[in-house]
Amino acid sequence: MTLEQPLATRPPASLAEAAEDHLDDVFGYLLYLTRDRETAEDLASSTFEKALRLWSRFDARRGSARTWLLGIARTTALDWFRSESRRRRREEAAALSERVEESFVEGLSPELETALASLSAGEREVLALRIVLELDGDATARVLGISPTAVSTRLSRALKRLEERVNEG
Amino acid sequence: MTVNQIVDELRATRPTAGEALRLQVLTLASAPPVTSPSLGDRLRGRRRFLLALPAAAALAVASAVAIGVTRPDATTQEASAPATSVEATRSIGAAQAPSTALAGPTADASTARGKTTPGPVPGRAQRYSASLTLAVDDTDALSEATQRALSIARDLGGYVVSVQYATGTEGAASLTLRVPSARAADAVTRLSGLGTIVSQNVQIDDLQESLDTLDGQLQRLRAQIAALNVALERADTAAERARLLERRAQAQAQLSELRASRAATAEAARNATIQLELRTEEGSGVAAPGSRLDRAVDKALAILAWEAVVVLALAVALAPVALVALAVWGARRARRRREEERLLAAS
Repeated sequence: MTLEQPLATRPPASLAEAAEDHLDDVFGYLLYLTRDRETAEDLASSTFEKALRLWSRFDARRGSARTWLLGIARTTALDWFRSESRRRRREEAAALSERVEESFVEGLSPELETALASLSAGEREVLALRIVLELDGDATARVLGISPTAVSTRLSRALKRLEERVNEG
Repeated sequence: MTVNQIVDELRATRPTAGEALRLQVLTLASAPPVTSPSLGDRLRGRRRFLLALPAAAALAVASAVAIGVTRPDATTQEASAPATSVEATRSIGAAQAPSTALAGPTADASTARGKTTPGPVPGRAQRYSASLTLAVDDTDALSEATQRALSIARDLGGYVVSVQYATGTEGAASLTLRVPSARAADAVTRLSGLGTIVSQNVQIDDLQESLDTLDGQLQRLRAQIAALNVALERADTAAERARLLERRAQAQAQLSELRASRAATAEAARNATIQLELRTEEGSGVAAPGSRLDRAVDKALAILAWEAVVVLALAVALAPVALVALAVWGARRARRRREEERLLAAS
């Protein structure tokens, strides 16, 4: 038995270290959620601002820094979705789709990109967490605040729908 | 396109943050924390609650132990010593009770020593009777206590009316002592210290009224005899003289009886009677008080039990409020979850 944890699972000593390790994960997740690179960057920045304020509360025994940061990113994104929803209702114009880039993930085939855009944000986020970021079921469940079984169900549906949309196009 | 191909493509095109964002975030994350975490921050939420529970339990136990150690006798006295009763059967004058009885077993001899033992009222003739039952450890202690009781009676100017002393597997001694009434309370107090008090009874009867009545009758009889003497000197006939002599003889006989009665009453008021029973612990029927440690543990346990009752009562009282709060919290959480699902489904 070793007293030290392996490097990969050792909790970060500082937020800077956590940011170095997990910025891409946070950004990728937010990009899949919002389908807008600029918005994802803004939200990623906001996520780390919040993380800096909350860093003293981070407890490695309750989850990894990656899961903790993704949870903050999700809360930040939901706040953004709420404000967007209010704004759209208020203005009754300027739909989100108008601002969405045609290609939000570099390197994706056009048919897969279109199919992804047709999915809901809820479906895209489970794909981002489980497929793109390769989080396990328990960590994904912690980020989404649902059970691991619900994560499996949601992922299965999202993949099935994505496959249908890709093959439709 | 199969699911596996989709998955492979999604993983192969995993997004990465741009350099500008990376620089911005790393600069931000390298800054010192906005505020240093206070104790409240560090102990917030569930951790604070989890810490508060054992802390409260430790405080409860510590206070129980502290009280048990510092006041080990309080519970014993409260539990085993019923309230001492003082009863006045009838009143005389404005404030004087002619017959007062005080009785009650006491587990700790200290409660009976000195201040709680009533005594006769100075200046009034009162008959003081006390009976005292004490438990002693063994026959050796019984013998010593008996000797000391006799010594106390003599020291206070009293005397021993009777002594019965018997030892076997259990020992017992019965003493009847008479001491000057003025020192009766002192005697009871000192005798109480010879063992553990099993029972104590003090009876005070006021005799002043009887004495005053007797004095009045004596005075009237003396006046009557004096008048008869004068009449005898003035008697003219032998028959009248004989009648007066007979009346004077009757009065003198009554006077003697009244004098004897008054002397007996005054004697009863002058000396108190104390009946002392001494028994070894086995024969006393009363458990000896435990050691100081035992009493401290008993006291601590009693306080812990009391604390548990208070906590239980609070739990019962607060349970409905807690259930409502839990239901509200659950409903709000479910509502927020549904709202988030709708939001993400619509985006």
